Amino acid sequence: MTETLKSVGIDIGTSTTQLVVSELTLQNQSNPFSVPRVAITEKTIVYRSEIYFTPLLSDTVIDAKGVREIVAGEYQRAGIRRDEVQTGAVIITGETARKENAREVLSALSEFAGDFVVATAGPDLESILAARGAGVDEISKDKHISVLHYDIGGGTSNLALYSNGHLRATSCLDVGGRLIKIDAGSKRIAYVSPKLEGRFPGVVRGAEASEALLRPVLDEMIQSLLEAAGLEAPSALLEFYTTQGTKPMKASGVHLSFSGGVADCIYTPPADWLAYGDMGPLLGQGIKKALDRRGVQAVQGVETIRATVVGAGAHSMDVSGSTIYYRDVSFPLKNIPVLRIDPMEESGDLASAISEKLRWYADEGGLSQVALALEGETSPSYSRVIALAEAIQAGLAPLLQQGFFPIVVLERDLAKVLGQAMAPTISGTLLCLDGISVSNGDYIDIGAPVAGGTVVPVVVKTLAFEKK
Amino acid sequence: MNETELRSLVERMVAELAGQAPSSSGKTTSYQQADHASSGEMLKDITEIDLRKQYLVKNPYNATAFLELKAKTPARLGMGRAGARYKTETMLRMRADHAAAQDSVFSLVEEDFVKQNNFVAVQTLCQTKDEYLTRPDRGRRFDDENQAIIKKTLGQSPKVALVIGDGLSSAAIEANAKDCLQAVRAGLKTFGIDPGPALFVKYCRVGASDHIGELTGAEVVCMLVGERPGLVTAESMSAYITYGARIGIPESKRTVISNIHRQGTTAVEAGAHIAELVKTMLEKKASGVELAQMERGRGA
Repeated sequence: MTETLKSVGIDIGTSTTQLVVSELTLQNQSNPFSVPRVAITEKTIVYRSEIYFTPLLSDTVIDAKGVREIVAGEYQRAGIRRDEVQTGAVIITGETARKENAREVLSALSEFAGDFVVATAGPDLESILAARGAGVDEISKDKHISVLHYDIGGGTSNLALYSNGHLRATSCLDVGGRLIKIDAGSKRIAYVSPKLEGRFPGVVRGAEASEALLRPVLDEMIQSLLEAAGLEAPSALLEFYTTQGTKPMKASGVHLSFSGGVADCIYTPPADWLAYGDMGPLLGQGIKKALDRRGVQAVQGVETIRATVVGAGAHSMDVSGSTIYYRDVSFPLKNIPVLRIDPMEESGDLASAISEKLRWYADEGGLSQVALALEGETSPSYSRVIALAEAIQAGLAPLLQQGFFPIVVLERDLAKVLGQAMAPTISGTLLCLDGISVSNGDYIDIGAPVAGGTVVPVVVKTLAFEKK
Repeated sequence: MNETELRSLVERMVAELAGQAPSSSGKTTSYQQADHASSGEMLKDITEIDLRKQYLVKNPYNATAFLELKAKTPARLGMGRAGARYKTETMLRMRADHAAAQDSVFSLVEEDFVKQNNFVAVQTLCQTKDEYLTRPDRGRRFDDENQAIIKKTLGQSPKVALVIGDGLSSAAIEANAKDCLQAVRAGLKTFGIDPGPALFVKYCRVGASDHIGELTGAEVVCMLVGERPGLVTAESMSAYITYGARIGIPESKRTVISNIHRQGTTAVEAGAHIAELVKTMLEKKASGVELAQMERGRGA
């Protein structure tokens, strides 16, 4: 059995907006004498859009219509229709995520792009998608090394640390090529990010830009990048540049890799440093010099400026386990907050733990739909399954009374038997998935079943918009 | 060397290893360490070590990387060596696993296990384990007395006949059959199917399904049976599910779910999957290759 899904990725970044179309191949990897095990076996990028400057109405407002026109135009050029797009993700990144209308633009665009094109944002997720888009997770797995990946864009640098194919940490720095914009004609500074305002003498809007004027800015930024990798001792600078709401990266003894627009300026800088009307080329060259001086050879990923969009298009979706339970569910389910029970509570009084935590998710309007996430047991007896089913049902009772339905997301292979155990005593909609690991604060999107109904596509994300 | 000589040699070696007899060879080595039992200390059970996490190579180039690979396979990789040979621990573990495999073939499912689970016990034409192992044909048929019990237990033309067979691993049945069957029953219930009592067949081959189908006219015969054990696990169970089982039905008409054990597909999740398979078979009136082809036509 082989099936392909058409997936679209859209990245609305601080400086650029891009789109890719990819094909994900689903295959049953188990032998014909076993329970099915469907996995994504291949990811091919079939279309890459042009790279557009992100249209803005002002410094604080995204041009929603402009973005939409870009997407519509690229769909036409790629020869795809909205109803052909089975999955994918729109990600709004860097400084653009902080614009006033970011949330509205994001949800409108994901709706416009396809039924199961999900809206994503948040510096941690962006770091992960960029690293995966650049293929760094695979590189670290194949070579059995630790790689700290930097996706350096216009507004932010997204850091993800992978060792042996496993994600170890993410972070984000307010370091980017477009935190200062320069009018290419007059060579005068046209924009200074609020983060940098007043920090550097003379670096103000209207001042004439020169390499010398910008040197202190670049030095600080590069210093913070090096500190994150442990190439310099961490100082207050690292704290200062670390994006609010993320933890500073403190890696050491790692390989480095780079993507994002600035990565191109490391490897193939434009002849004129003012080519893009920002300090990207200078930042890229500065990084190159700093690495060369230390004899550091960067690992080269498969994507640079497109890493994030490829990550969103090809690496945001996963599939559930292949033995799951669903009844009367109207897919897709979008933006379902995750209520995670930790393993300690799972083995104790589970029902009380669930109803206790359920209250956290209540607001003035009462409860809302949540997905209950558990680890589950490795090889439980049937009586344990029954006990689990009863505890879940008792714990979720307040939710069910308000007309919501149980969504249970497990890590261990347990969903089908749990679903069947719950089915007789719960009327109507019921959904049990496994093979998925999620945490509190995550959101989950679940698409309609594929691969002959054996699996559902799942996107796990964090939608934490930064508070201004 | 004849058999008696070989036996006495082995006995002497075992005794030497256990430190119970003085070595008769010239190279005397004292086995002082073998005195754990007298000090009340238990020997470590080497079969409890997870082979996927055991890496015995000295001074490895990259142990972490090797362990990542090992996590994906139960194969005995990275076991190190003593000269050209296995290390003692590896050799003993291999023999322990082999012994477990042999035990599971030669032992019988406990009668208490059958009673506690309210299985109705029947027996094929085989009278002993030896006969069972040497005469597969007799493991597929029942005598008149057992035929009568089967008919009485399952009735005429049931939708589903649930059968547990010891097969080649009694350990597999004792480890998995109970939980798996409970899950199958619960699953069938959600589809509105009541399968009735389950049979336990002693000295059972998969082909016994066909005789049971023939005798009762069951639409689907679902048999949980112990798999031929290997060195990875002695507790692996399979489900053979046949639509319209009757004597002479081709093997291609069976659907099989194998590798049901703790490290494979778990008993309960397999049970849930089997229940759904049975429901599909009742709808499509097919099993085995025929069913797989129908599914392919419908799916991708």
